[in-house]
Amino acid sequence: MGLQTNGLTLEVVGREVSGRPVPGKPRRPAGPYLLALPALLLSSLLIVPICVTVVAAFRTPGGFGIGNFAVMRDPGALHAVGNSLLWVLVAFAIVAVGFFLALFSYRLPAVTSLLQPALVIPFAVSILVSGATFRLIFDPTPERGTVTAVWTRLFGSSPVWLGPGLFWLVLVSAFGWTWLGYVVSLFRAGLDAIPDDVTRTITAEGVKGWRRLRALEIPLLRPITGVVTLTVVIAAVRVFDLVLIVVPGSMQSSADVLGLNWWRTTTSGDNPGRTAALGVVLFAIVAAAGVIGVRGLRRRRWAMPVTVVPPDPSLGRPKPSKRVRRTGWVVGFAVSLVWIFPAVVLVATALHSPREAGLHGWWSLSGLGFSSFTAAANVGLFRALLSTVLIAGAATLVLLVIAVPTAYLVAWGGLPQWLGRVVTSAFVVLAVTPVQMYAAPLRDAIGATGLAGSRIALALVHAAAGLPFAVLLLRSAFASAPPALVSEALQGPARQSAVLATVQRTYRPALVAVAVLEFALVWNDFIVGFLISGPGTTPLSLVLWGEARQFSAASGTVAAAAVVASIVPAVLLLSFWQTVVRGLTAGSRP
Amino acid sequence: MRSSRRAFLGAAATLVVAGCSSDVLGLRRSVRIAVSWSGQELRAFHKVLDGLGPLDYPVEVVPLGDDISTAFGARSTRRPDIVMLPQPGLVPRHLRDLEPMPDDLAPLGRARLWKDLLVHQSTTYGVPFKTAHKSAVWYRPSVFAQVGVQPPRLWSEWLTLNQTLTQAGIAPLSLAAGDGWVLTDFLENVLLGIAPAVYENLATATDPRPSRQPQFAEALRLVGTMWSAPDALAGGMERSLVQQFPDALVEVFGHRRAAMVLASDFAEPVVRSFAADPSDIELFTFPPMTPGAAAPVVVGGDVMVLPKPTTDDARDLVRRLAAPNAADPWIREGGFLVDGRVAGYSSELTRLAEQLAKPGEQLQFDLSDRLGRLGDINGLWRVLTDFLIKVGGRGAAVVPEAVDAAVRELRKVEG
Repeated sequence: MGLQTNGLTLEVVGREVSGRPVPGKPRRPAGPYLLALPALLLSSLLIVPICVTVVAAFRTPGGFGIGNFAVMRDPGALHAVGNSLLWVLVAFAIVAVGFFLALFSYRLPAVTSLLQPALVIPFAVSILVSGATFRLIFDPTPERGTVTAVWTRLFGSSPVWLGPGLFWLVLVSAFGWTWLGYVVSLFRAGLDAIPDDVTRTITAEGVKGWRRLRALEIPLLRPITGVVTLTVVIAAVRVFDLVLIVVPGSMQSSADVLGLNWWRTTTSGDNPGRTAALGVVLFAIVAAAGVIGVRGLRRRRWAMPVTVVPPDPSLGRPKPSKRVRRTGWVVGFAVSLVWIFPAVVLVATALHSPREAGLHGWWSLSGLGFSSFTAAANVGLFRALLSTVLIAGAATLVLLVIAVPTAYLVAWGGLPQWLGRVVTSAFVVLAVTPVQMYAAPLRDAIGATGLAGSRIALALVHAAAGLPFAVLLLRSAFASAPPALVSEALQGPARQSAVLATVQRTYRPALVAVAVLEFALVWNDFIVGFLISGPGTTPLSLVLWGEARQFSAASGTVAAAAVVASIVPAVLLLSFWQTVVRGLTAGSRP
Repeated sequence: MRSSRRAFLGAAATLVVAGCSSDVLGLRRSVRIAVSWSGQELRAFHKVLDGLGPLDYPVEVVPLGDDISTAFGARSTRRPDIVMLPQPGLVPRHLRDLEPMPDDLAPLGRARLWKDLLVHQSTTYGVPFKTAHKSAVWYRPSVFAQVGVQPPRLWSEWLTLNQTLTQAGIAPLSLAAGDGWVLTDFLENVLLGIAPAVYENLATATDPRPSRQPQFAEALRLVGTMWSAPDALAGGMERSLVQQFPDALVEVFGHRRAAMVLASDFAEPVVRSFAADPSDIELFTFPPMTPGAAAPVVVGGDVMVLPKPTTDDARDLVRRLAAPNAADPWIREGGFLVDGRVAGYSSELTRLAEQLAKPGEQLQFDLSDRLGRLGDINGLWRVLTDFLIKVGGRGAAVVPEAVDAAVRELRKVEG
């Protein structure tokens, strides 16, 4: 048997076999697989309860079947599904708006410097805080609510913004305020990464407007669009705490979404099979949204090499004219003001006494002081702060320790291709699984082991929930710098510093992104603490939620608690935002 | 350099040890008390605990809000040792999960009204901590004086009074329809006023079916008559829907856009802290529905129960909280009534306390708290909210149809 390549001829010659064949195994060391063991154990915290839920959903008194899904005939549940689908539309709209805002800020560069922090702060604060802020802004009394006050001044009377139908406006504003910054930042990072020669060629050919968009930006941003759509759609389908805090109790049934409907069904002691079926339907919607989102990623490889050489500034885009820059500056300033306004409302409300904040809006000049913060401290805010620091810190630590070796294994551990694909798909599925799929069995299990309310249990659940995303992100980063580069860096003294710098540049952003996002997510979490931890661990968000039960009269304390709860994630994300964006987009560069 | 590094490591180790100490990890055995209160009430309860003096054990307050009924059943080291149950009607349903009260406390649970709920087969499972009078209407006397009216002594007088106020351009009622229990309280008062026997039957039935009672529909019709009167509700139906209980009080006493509000005794601290004029505060109790009938008094409250298994520390804390003067710090804050006690309150609350203690009054426990699922957010709350949306400010003509719709809806919930 012969092989011929490049003029060389390889002759394969068989050797006569003598003696008995030696039993043996192919040399595939099991060592690397052990790297995945901790991840497997941690993930089983989710996988086992998910399986329990799926089995429960399909188990009927007479065996297995789809009898439990009759719950979907319930008009309440159907209404909730409809609302959840509406939220998906909202998510698509936000992605579209974010894309054009990013394009706009790309064409008018001066906008960015101002816009960035204004867009990051809303993303850093929890959705609970942003819901509380918009409820303050849209308060129905003209003395308290900003929009109501302005409207009444202009038109004599004002619609009841939190009333039937109109509460959607408040919900969508709060959601958009939170997510638009993330969308714009990621699209901006994608636009910045478009090679200049491509841009210049297109410009030289005179392609403009829609045609340029369709020829250049849209195709080149497809991978990022995938990531962005995926995150925002999943966030939209998972909306839960936002509805709880924004919509007054009397209208919550009309604002019902699937996640909330599930929660009400579990608390009312309905048949567990039916609640499990609701969870499965919710998961199906999220998964469908996920598949559509991931399609964007499939077009290109998930892991892309990152541009390593920083662009030469002298070869950068031509500096825009003075007029363009000035326009950009003015527009950027205006947009930033609008965007930062809710944060101003929140802080100003917190700086009023509880009485004054309950009677008048943030603009009132009387009753200024820190008494709302004192009142918030008196309902256990600082104990909750400690609790949250511990939970978020522990979850982040556990996550990093487990995710890094796993991601390394998936990227370079020499897994057979099929296994790598299976593992990646499993992580994608886990990353989008809504908490309702595993909350009930997990809560029961934690209760049965006597760990209900322990912070360790909560931190572990958080780490498990964060693991899939972290592994996927780190894998992309690892994949873009092969281990050969690392060993080369460690051995070859000549190019050592340059290669190390390369490695650092590719790995560090992803590591920072994982750590910062996990810490902020756990810090801001409401739903996991609410649904799983049981009575006991009271993280910040639960204290905030307790205060917000009598919303307007407690405006001052709610705002003060929200400000305290937001400082840490806001500072964290503002300091690391550039790195986080680089880490997030590392695997999806064009 | 070395020593500073060692110092740093030492400090880090101390932090780790401190961080892992059982309290921070949540494993130390403190007495955990689950409450449904938040905000001002929660702060007042902390004051009560502080007033108990030094205790041998740490006490941790777990605010559970509306999910308080989830406090039972979780077998864990951190489950609550004491639950302040705002729905005493749940006690009979959780007998298996509850520890009997120690003998010295048991008589407290045998007081009038509480006995039916807390005592089963001569074992006492709970003792009252806080009593709520849910038939109080807070109003601004200056408005009544302005149009020359007196507090109503009959339901019909109340309807006329509302009309007089409306004609004078004053919105009579502020309604906190954002909180479902405010609506159920309204209906319960009317039902208790017209048909005390029906009320009692519903409250004690194992499978209550209010939709089958014609008196229930009649109570709905009467409530609908008041809510449907044009301009009776301050801000209209939509504003009422987004108004929570404190907002309704602020509308009356803070912004002075309405004359009165049906609220409980525990409205007191909110009323006083937001009132524009502290001297312009009064209350009347829910009037009798017909001449000669007794005035309805709907009672609520929070009872202390001990989930199984309990500890001596938990019993000790219940004993201390049940002591006659334990609640004094909260009473000083306002909005707190102790079962059987008639002195030491503000003048308004003293009147409510006296009505609660007077023999022969038409007292009944909050019905919605005793109906289980039927009375909660998916049941009566939602039905009454929809009812309000249909009738609010639209005139008496729409009421009969809305009553029929509400009864039909309730029948669906009953299953």
